[in-house]
Parts: sequence; C-alpha cells; structure tokens
Amino acid sequence: MTVTSPGEMAIKTEGDIVLVRRTAREVAMQTGFGATDVTRIVTASSEMARNIFKYAGEGCMRWRTSERDGLPGIELEFEDHGPGIADLNLALQEGYTTGEGLGMGLPGAKRLMDELEIRSQVGKGTKVVLRKWKRTLQ
Amino acid sequence: MNAENISVIKVRELLMVTMPSDPDDPTISALQEKVLNAMERHEAKGVVLDISAVETLDSFFARTISETAQMVTLMGGRTIIAGMRPAVAVTATELGLTLGTVETALNVDRALDMVNKPEKQA
Repeated sequence: MTVTSPGEMAIKTEGDIVLVRRTAREVAMQTGFGATDVTRIVTASSEMARNIFKYAGEGCMRWRTSERDGLPGIELEFEDHGPGIADLNLALQEGYTTGEGLGMGLPGAKRLMDELEIRSQVGKGTKVVLRKWKRTLQ
Repeated sequence: MNAENISVIKVRELLMVTMPSDPDDPTISALQEKVLNAMERHEAKGVVLDISAVETLDSFFARTISETAQMVTLMGGRTIIAGMRPAVAVTATELGLTLGTVETALNVDRALDMVNKPEKQA
C-alpha cells in the first residue's frame, strides 16, 4: 500500500476548487478507495472548497491518511478564517442555505463521508474535518 | 480550462453538448450561455448533454444543468442528460441532488432514440 504523505493547499481562487478535487481524488485513490468512494470523497471536498471560496474568500485544505480498526482511511480538513457559522445545527439541516446554494453542502457531505466534524466561531472562522475509512482491506 | 472546453455541435435538429471531465466553475457557468445562444442560432429543437466524461457532479454543477434545462424549455426545446457514470449517480443521490424534471438517458445513443419518441409525461 502506498503511504500518502500529508499535505496542505490553499483555496483562494475558483481554479483552486478544481485543484482540491484533483488532490482529493489522488489521495483517495492512493489510499485504495474504489471508484464510488473516490467520487463520494471528491464530491464532498468540492462542496467544502466552494463553501470556503464563496463564504470566507480563502482558506485551505489539509489531507492525511489514517487508520481505524486496521483499515486505511482518509482525513480532509477544510479551514478558513471567514465569518463563521452562527448556528451549526441549522447549517447541518437539510435545505438550509444563506447563499445561492442548494443548502446541501454540509448535510450532503456528511452523508457522503463516514464522519463530519465541524467547529466554527462567528468572526473567527470554520474548520470542517471529513473522514472516511475503507470497508475492507481489499 | 475555459468555455472552449465545452463542445457544442449541431446534429440534425439537435445540439450535442459534451462536458469535459472536471470543469471549473466559470466553464460550468459558460455552459448556460453557450447552449442558449446555440439554441437560437441553430434553431435547435433540443439539447443532448453528454456528461459521460464527468467524474464529479457537485451541487453547483447539478444546479447549473437543471437551470439550463429549464431555460431550454422556456425557449421551446427539450434537454436530455446522457451518460451519467454509475459512481456519479450514486454520489448525486446520496448528496441529495436532483436534476428536477430533466430527462435522462443511459448514453447518447439512447438519448437520440428518445428524441424520436414523444416526450414522457411527468
């Protein structure tokens, strides 16, 4: 199994959303995920990157591989120093949006991944951690 | 990547639109204008949007497709989305994406078959 080294990239432009998808795809594939899981991971990452670009202007994505119960997994962290989210429960609700989005960014990403951890402070920023593990070794 | 990556070809009375595998947001936004202008210019009856190369369909992309289809309807045309990959279909459903009332086809070939049949009732 290839061990992917952790890394970080900035999200500042619309083009960076494409780079986030490419990076997430590469890390997910190297972790050994199948085509459907890779697509889930890339799509969730795309939603998070666009949120950062749209609401915070800029931020970053950090990636690393992890392990749970002997199975490899992926951890993607999206951090910004934007306006923050006042009501996290509301933001995680189906159909809730403050922008022109469909309101499925956070709840949608949560469904696509195994875990979504979010911390946010109004005026300070937001950090979202997405995690997914492989179901079997092969 | 830019709007040039979207290919729009007129075949008989239809527009065949092919999306690149991983378009950026400006390219996706350009899709709308490009398709609508081509509808008018070519007096097309409808649009077949080939997304068989598309590897990621997120909420922005899906919304643009669904809006474009609505606009094509307003112009009197019909839109058929063709060739969604299995992994994309699974992910789109889990994400909660719907393409509204847009018609879909397994591939471009089937989409062309559909055009020759009456529109299905919603």
